[in-house]
Amino acid sequence: MLTMHEQQAAREDAELVDEALGGNQLSFQLLVERYQERLFGLARHYTKSAVEVEDIVQDSFLKAYRRLGTFQRQSSFSTWLYRIAVNTALDFLKRSGRSPVQVVEDPELTAAPQRAQAGSGMAVAAPDANLARQEVARITAEVLEELPEIFRTVLVLREFEDLSYQEMADVLGISIGTVESRLFRARARFKEALLRLHPDFATAD
Amino acid sequence: MEPAVKITCDAARPLVPSYLDGELSEAQASPLRTHLLDCPACRETAKAGKALARWFVPEAAPAVPAGFAARVARRAFAGDPGLLVPEPRPVARVRPLLPFLLVASAVAAAVLLGLAIALQRESLPRESALDAREMAPPWLESERRLESELRLEGELRPQAVPQADR
Repeated sequence: MLTMHEQQAAREDAELVDEALGGNQLSFQLLVERYQERLFGLARHYTKSAVEVEDIVQDSFLKAYRRLGTFQRQSSFSTWLYRIAVNTALDFLKRSGRSPVQVVEDPELTAAPQRAQAGSGMAVAAPDANLARQEVARITAEVLEELPEIFRTVLVLREFEDLSYQEMADVLGISIGTVESRLFRARARFKEALLRLHPDFATAD
Repeated sequence: MEPAVKITCDAARPLVPSYLDGELSEAQASPLRTHLLDCPACRETAKAGKALARWFVPEAAPAVPAGFAARVARRAFAGDPGLLVPEPRPVARVRPLLPFLLVASAVAAAVLLGLAIALQRESLPRESALDAREMAPPWLESERRLESELRLEGELRPQAVPQADR
């Protein structure tokens, strides 16, 4: 369910899209301004290079402009744009030899859906209150880097971009059930990598 | 007031992540909440999920370069396809040439080898040519024939009776 603010934003996006399709360059520039920070935030999870982040975001917007006529109003412009940006980032990794793990290559991704979380050994403690926010963010970024892009992507979309399961399904072109199981496995992998890199954050399950 | 729906641990635990993500309907969330109040083990599962979620703190977003939006809009309207598009580029065109050259070289080498073998075979004497009779000079045959005729004649001639026996 969209909030009033989200509905207003969606209306404004739709208007800007129409104006850009009508040849108004400034309207497209306003669309870019609305989403550029979110796309920079998304793209930096795929590369450490600031130049490459900028290339990914720029290409995402250029692709979006070329495909603007195909934008269906059933989903929000932001979801549509995220889909383009995620695909651009994954394409970029593939082309630069940092090939993302494909679903078909990872049996764990195609395995049966989620199981109970209990009994999986050690649990992760919440970050220590004394730990600075930047330090928690740094550790999390370090752990995310350990994960295959397919898991990293679902965690970024859910935990940082605050997308709903339905929006994630739309962005990734998968079912809600697949979103749930992939998210479950991504969290399990994150927990495993966090405990491997920082065993001191373990607590008894 | 309707009695609270009871669910088991097996039914409750898979719902915990969706519950923490705010993805359950009230009809699904209500019995789960009741179950979590009664079940310490499932409550621990939920607690662990919440603890993990607190790790997802984003790093400061990278700064967007000044004038980025105006530049991108200008490029979009100028028809710039971007740097990373999969459309063929000079580098992309050169790459598929290498496998083609390798295959072409291998085929050419195989053809040349076949040709060389065929030419070599052509220059060698055939099997029939290695027959000793074929290689013998023409006069030798008539010599042989004469020799066998003489042998035959000798065998048919009556043996000379020694004089002493008469």
